Amino acid sequence: MRLDIFTMVMFFVSFFGLITSRTIIKSIVFILIMQTSVVMFWLIVGNMHGSLPPIDVYNIDAENISDPLPQALMLSAIVIGISVITVSITMFNNLFRKYETASWDHMEKVYSNEGEGEQ
Amino acid sequence: MNIPITEIALSLWVVCAVLIVFTKKMYRIIITFGVFSLIGALSYLFLGSPDVAMAEAAVSAFVTIFFIVCIERYYKFGMGLEDEQAEEKVKFSAKSVGRILAPTGFCVGLFWLAMQHLPMDDAVTVLRDQYLARFMYDVGGMNAVASIVLGYRVYDTLFEALLLVVSVVAVAHVSWYDKAEMIDRRHSEIKNSGVARFTMRVVCPIIIIFGAYIIANGHLTAGGGFQGGLAIATFFICRYLVYDINDLPIAKVMRMEKLVFVNITILPVLAVFTGVTYFATYILPLTSDVYLVAMNILIGFKVACGFFVLFYRFVAIERW
Repeated sequence: MRLDIFTMVMFFVSFFGLITSRTIIKSIVFILIMQTSVVMFWLIVGNMHGSLPPIDVYNIDAENISDPLPQALMLSAIVIGISVITVSITMFNNLFRKYETASWDHMEKVYSNEGEGEQ
Repeated sequence: MNIPITEIALSLWVVCAVLIVFTKKMYRIIITFGVFSLIGALSYLFLGSPDVAMAEAAVSAFVTIFFIVCIERYYKFGMGLEDEQAEEKVKFSAKSVGRILAPTGFCVGLFWLAMQHLPMDDAVTVLRDQYLARFMYDVGGMNAVASIVLGYRVYDTLFEALLLVVSVVAVAHVSWYDKAEMIDRRHSEIKNSGVARFTMRVVCPIIIIFGAYIIANGHLTAGGGFQGGLAIATFFICRYLVYDINDLPIAKVMRMEKLVFVNITILPVLAVFTGVTYFATYILPLTSDVYLVAMNILIGFKVACGFFVLFYRFVAIERW
């Protein structure tokens, strides 16, 4: 069974959630889920020959070892993901303190009203 | 009988994400997200990548805490309930139907397009064979992932560390109360509980030893600087439950993190230019292991400092 179909389904489920969610926190959660699906995709692509971890490789058959390069790159991707998420949560906290709402629609309404008032 | 455990885990994973799409309550979303991350980490383990699994598990613990801190105030203001009710009471009209159907069609179309270009089973693996055959002589160590992260692809690691520093600085400066004092206003008086104090006294040394073990053996087994640094940073969560936070030197820790980052950039550049990693392995087999252990310790120290600052920032300042 092709495992990468799961990650494809996952990516577009999270994309759907991202563009239909009405609260900001939910959007941030879906950004993280999307990133996880991409990480899973690369691990599955590196896993097509075998699923043994690439540790102490001289004692096991080289055919069954998974690819170490995507794993190393995905470690970086996870760190970058959590950096992005923490900064976005902080920005959401700022917006929540200013507009006192977490809904995209409501916040947009309040923001446009503010702009008209200033003009 | 061969149990298709990876398929089962991945199916549960997709089910969790679909549940999150159709959940309205914020706390449920965060709890489901925690389950999702746990199943994801298990799947990484089944797919033969214990390093990524450890990183994902540790990261998702921290992210869950950050989200809960975020949501707690959201409910305290009473805004969350209003938003949820507004979301539940969507009227059935042409606009609402279009709002569901158009994204669905868009996503299904993109999915169909992506399915046309999936990689074949015989993905090119020249680099994999090259790395697996040579990493012990080129960089050293027993763990191929650690050797690639700290040897072949060390510049990626440098920029990743830089991004973490930038994120810590951004959280400290984008934050609402820029120069606010640390305020310790915990709901429950868990500080005075004898059970909590005793449990922390037992658990904290084990956490520290676990983190140190992961860091020191990162080049031999699964683990490394990032995972061990996160494990040590969880020690500060335990400390938050029991001790005071007013005497914490946050600014000093931030400065120390930047200094350690400078060391992290200097060490690999020196090692590459002097050939410690790539040529001295044949003459002195231990030097490359010294380089790997030193890099892992520096990265672990930096990550622990960074997440220390992030956690206290979120718990003591962002929360109120």
